[in-house]
Amino acid sequence: MRRGMRITAAVLASAMLTLGAAGCGGKKTTSDSGGAGGEAKKTLKVGLAYDIGGRGDQSFNDAAARGLDRVKSELNIQTKELSAKPDEPDSDKEARLKLLASGGFNPVVGVGFAYTAPITKVAKDFPNTKFLVVDADQCKVSGANVEGACFSEEQGSFLVGAAAALKSKTGTIGFIGGVNVPLIHKFWAGYEAGAKAAKPDIKVLPAKYLTQPPNFNGFKDPALGSDAAKGQLDAGADVIYHAAGGAGIGVIKTVGAAQKLAIGVDSDQYNQPAVANVKDFILTSMVKRVDVAVFDFVKAVADNTFTAGTKKYDLSNDGVGYATSGGKVDDIKAKLDQYKQEISSGQLKVPTS
Amino acid sequence: MPHDEGEPAVRLTSITKRFPGVVANRDVNITVRRGEVHALCGENGAGKSTLMKILYGMQRPDEGAIEVDGAEVTFHTPADAIARGIGMVHQHFMLADNLTVLENVVLGAEKLHGIGAAAGRKIKEIATQYGFDIEPNRLVEELGVGDRQRVEILKVLYRGARILILDEPTAVLVPQEVDELFGNLRDLKAEGLTVLFISHKLDEVLSIADRITVIRRGETVATVNAAEVTSRRLAELMVGSELPSPETRESTVTGDEQFSVSGLTVRSPEGRAIVDDVSFAIHLGEIVGIAGVEGNGQGELIEAIIGMRPVTAGTVRFAGADITQWSTRRRREAGIAYIPEDRQRHGLVLDRPLWENRMLGHQTRPPNARGPWIDRRGARADTTRIVKEYDVRTPGIDVLAAALSGGNQQKLIVGREMTGNPRLLIAAHPTRGIDVGAQAAIWEHLRKARADGLAVLLVSADLEELIGMSDTLHVILRGRLVATVDVTDVTPEELGSAMTGAEPADGATAGDTA
Amino acid sequence: MPAWVAILRGLGPRQITLRVGAPIIALVIALVITMILLRAAGVDPFNAMTSMIDYGTTSSSVVEILNRATGYYLSAIAVAIGFRMALFNIGVDGQYRMAAMLAAVLGGAVALPAPLGQILVIVAAMLVGGAWAAIAGLLKVTRGVSEVISTIMLNAIATGLIAYLLNPARLAEVRPGSNNVATPPIPESGQVPGFELAGGTVFGLIVLAVAVGIAFHVVINRTRFGYDLRISGLSLTAARASGVDSRRMIVTTMALSGVVAGLVGMPELLGASYQYSLNFPAGLGFTGIAIALLGRNNPFGIGLAALLFSFLDQSSDVLQLNDVPKEIVLVMQGTVVLTVVIVYELVRRFEIRLQQRAVAAELAAGHVIAGEKPAGGPE
Repeated sequence: MRRGMRITAAVLASAMLTLGAAGCGGKKTTSDSGGAGGEAKKTLKVGLAYDIGGRGDQSFNDAAARGLDRVKSELNIQTKELSAKPDEPDSDKEARLKLLASGGFNPVVGVGFAYTAPITKVAKDFPNTKFLVVDADQCKVSGANVEGACFSEEQGSFLVGAAAALKSKTGTIGFIGGVNVPLIHKFWAGYEAGAKAAKPDIKVLPAKYLTQPPNFNGFKDPALGSDAAKGQLDAGADVIYHAAGGAGIGVIKTVGAAQKLAIGVDSDQYNQPAVANVKDFILTSMVKRVDVAVFDFVKAVADNTFTAGTKKYDLSNDGVGYATSGGKVDDIKAKLDQYKQEISSGQLKVPTS
Repeated sequence: MPHDEGEPAVRLTSITKRFPGVVANRDVNITVRRGEVHALCGENGAGKSTLMKILYGMQRPDEGAIEVDGAEVTFHTPADAIARGIGMVHQHFMLADNLTVLENVVLGAEKLHGIGAAAGRKIKEIATQYGFDIEPNRLVEELGVGDRQRVEILKVLYRGARILILDEPTAVLVPQEVDELFGNLRDLKAEGLTVLFISHKLDEVLSIADRITVIRRGETVATVNAAEVTSRRLAELMVGSELPSPETRESTVTGDEQFSVSGLTVRSPEGRAIVDDVSFAIHLGEIVGIAGVEGNGQGELIEAIIGMRPVTAGTVRFAGADITQWSTRRRREAGIAYIPEDRQRHGLVLDRPLWENRMLGHQTRPPNARGPWIDRRGARADTTRIVKEYDVRTPGIDVLAAALSGGNQQKLIVGREMTGNPRLLIAAHPTRGIDVGAQAAIWEHLRKARADGLAVLLVSADLEELIGMSDTLHVILRGRLVATVDVTDVTPEELGSAMTGAEPADGATAGDTA
Repeated sequence: MPAWVAILRGLGPRQITLRVGAPIIALVIALVITMILLRAAGVDPFNAMTSMIDYGTTSSSVVEILNRATGYYLSAIAVAIGFRMALFNIGVDGQYRMAAMLAAVLGGAVALPAPLGQILVIVAAMLVGGAWAAIAGLLKVTRGVSEVISTIMLNAIATGLIAYLLNPARLAEVRPGSNNVATPPIPESGQVPGFELAGGTVFGLIVLAVAVGIAFHVVINRTRFGYDLRISGLSLTAARASGVDSRRMIVTTMALSGVVAGLVGMPELLGASYQYSLNFPAGLGFTGIAIALLGRNNPFGIGLAALLFSFLDQSSDVLQLNDVPKEIVLVMQGTVVLTVVIVYELVRRFEIRLQQRAVAAELAAGHVIAGEKPAGGPE
């Protein structure tokens, strides 16, 4: 290799590594030792492993983090969080779980469907440790010490889809998904079905996915969300629902700047500091109670009421739903709650893809 | 001639410079009088460069003293030397093409006269004083080689130099430009400046220098007056032995045509004919020379013949076959040997050891290869043989080619190309930039090969080499062969005129030689 | 005398010291820089290092490190093949993902008896990777497109193409209720069994990686093709003058780099995941660039570099456990690469200077290598 090129190559390679580091946003792990004076509930230590993004992703992982924070403050239990590397193979996730389990952490939580297989595998080696996988793949787990939480995102999305259709003045609404993966297809399917149900002549713009796997920037980069939102606004949409994690911040800001309406996702984004200045343009949010799933699981282990198997979080148990902060959907609340009731009772079936 | 009285401009006394395991300069004594042109002669690697680096502050001597204008000095950096009025013009120009002459001159010396009108006035003043005909506002890229060199000298003068070191300044010039340079140097001398002139072209040294110091293996051999020495004596001083006398050659040209081109045309991507309808033939045992001012298509002609450049029209025949469409590799395997013009870019891979360089261009044939495999043992053994037979001075065959001096690099290339029974040798500037010892050896090899029936195409800028070596000599001008010269009856000056297209030289027959 | 003895003799003791000492010096410098960084981040560097080493040497970590290093190694060799010819194949990432996905589809669709199925999948991956990379080579020689640009573009195109093909309507399937999309799994007869160790299963295809490393060494250093490739990388002009057809060489080298790139995903595909899904590891191609640089494009050096990178990756979790941000590992990897490149460049210059001195000594002494006659023209 020629000399000049060798140095260029080195600089490029290092730059790539550094970019990787910057992109991951150096979030420090937290480990407050809890029971400094409080009564020791048993010496539980919770270990939680994130999928890529980790704490601070303004979305799914943050919802899990909220659950963990509640565990810490309300149950006074010590916690530890580990983040994943981008693009890692399953074996890295296994190693991470093993590291936690062998370090005495019990229970152990894996956030994200990619942890399903690794947890199933590792749980066998640690029969006395309880495991939770959030978003269990195919809503299936095995093992007497494993719980799987799965969410019916399509049901919540149905409701916000109905809200979007009812609130649209132009008759056109949009959807922005972070990455083109089946999970996000569920959000889209429910959203579109809800909109059509509430207003059959509504025009729903084709779903816009920010990136293709394995590029998961679509869950991270607000600039991508912002650009996509501009496109959908130009196409006439006046209500836009995003299922794009951190990139959705860009969607909400852009939509808010245009004085149109945005719909948040995962948590009640009306209360999120990152979008506080445009919160008046947040119509509602599709909430997915990952925090509840995490908290309930830890509490069940602490109370010795743990049961293995999957647990479904849907409209019927408020595991998903829509947010009412800001009061923008108060006038259509009756209609939405009617849909909610019909879905909960099984009367109305929501498609998942 | 300057008088001996007064302090000398530079006096180097007992300079010794050691590198680990080597003494580069040993007890060197040189006295350069004020206002003289003093030449420093020696083979490559004899220690000239080290000595000049010491004088220019780039290296410090282990022993000995430097006196400038009678005062002992110690230089830590070239800046110290410049402050003492010493300037150096390097062999390779250090100019920014896309800047003007003025910008190049003031670059790095902005503090002296600024970068505006004052600087321009100063440059004009210097140019007038020393007889330089240079327009400060022209772009350097528009200048020819000779003018660029003058800009380099101007740079040094602008910084206030009274003592100029010129490192092989004529290597890049054609005879007419050399004359102009020498005119400039005489003007400098007339203005009282001192010039230290490094060269191994003996005739030039004799024509410009007042006194000549010869260095051999790090030691000063002698300082002689140019008027009292012959070029032959000088060469003997340099190599330290008696030179072989130039033999009266007998023609070995046979009637067998080994190689020919007819109607060969090479066009640039823009469609301009760089080589224009060239036809000539080479017979077994014949050396055909091509003379021309650089840039008149000889480089492209050679590249077309070796197959590195596509031919627009015409045919190339070799040993009875039409090879116009053959790849370079096929041509080489068929027995065409090639000594390229630019040995560092085309002839060697500098970052690899000698034995791997010995394989270059011969990597498909024994002793370097066996089937698809490299034959390391064979290649190494043969490299050792070449190093011995061609007197390549190196501590071993595992040193990198970059570590050798130019002459020794060239000897390796010549040795390599003479190996493997070549049937045609294309030699471009085979002795450019190398010392007389190596030069004589390479000529000897060429003669021997010719006597053994090799056909040789010789392209060179060294007119004496061309006249002395060639059996047939063509002149190339703007891509066309414009004349064929009788080598028994032509002087370099006449040939030089023919090359510039001024008028047909005596003994030249005008017209194509097709 | 054997060639290596001669080479060592030619080098002399000082240069041998340099050869061995340079990487050690570079690593020590990188280590010191990292320690300072850790210190600055408010962590006890010695504790952090100890925990990394403790965790990295457990039996299950060793297995992990070996498995991860297998992919890294193949990726870095693919990059190194290009580097040796001064071609910058940034497209290893796209090449191996395309190859792994299409090979996974093939493996899931065709059931052949034991060695044939595996061979089929592996050969298919090599062909896909080679073809994908050859596009960049062809663009370079026909249209003059820099391979840096074209391979980056081809990575993006590969990503799009995979997203298009990895769809239940086309080559993949979604199991009911799943968040994953995957190609049909490769049946057990098509999988490559691993080596069972105390800490887990080491990829069976680690053997393939070693074989590729040896083949790389032999081809580059011992064959005419390898010679042409190396000199083309050092001086394209000299290579052309020596008869190398540089255009063909560029296409061949790119394709060869792609063929090896095609293998990068194979250990994971045939030894662990048995399917290409959204979870299939990506980005190995970029890591390979850094590892190739660190390993000096030398198969043995790349092996060590791959193990080092893999070890550092493995210990990123244990650092998090000790409240060290995991990104420090990326900083460490970058630091190691930069120090190695810089130290080697300095050593290289120093070496040339040493050799030039040796040559000067030869001239001063005035004898030729054989030492049997004084200087002078040949008789």
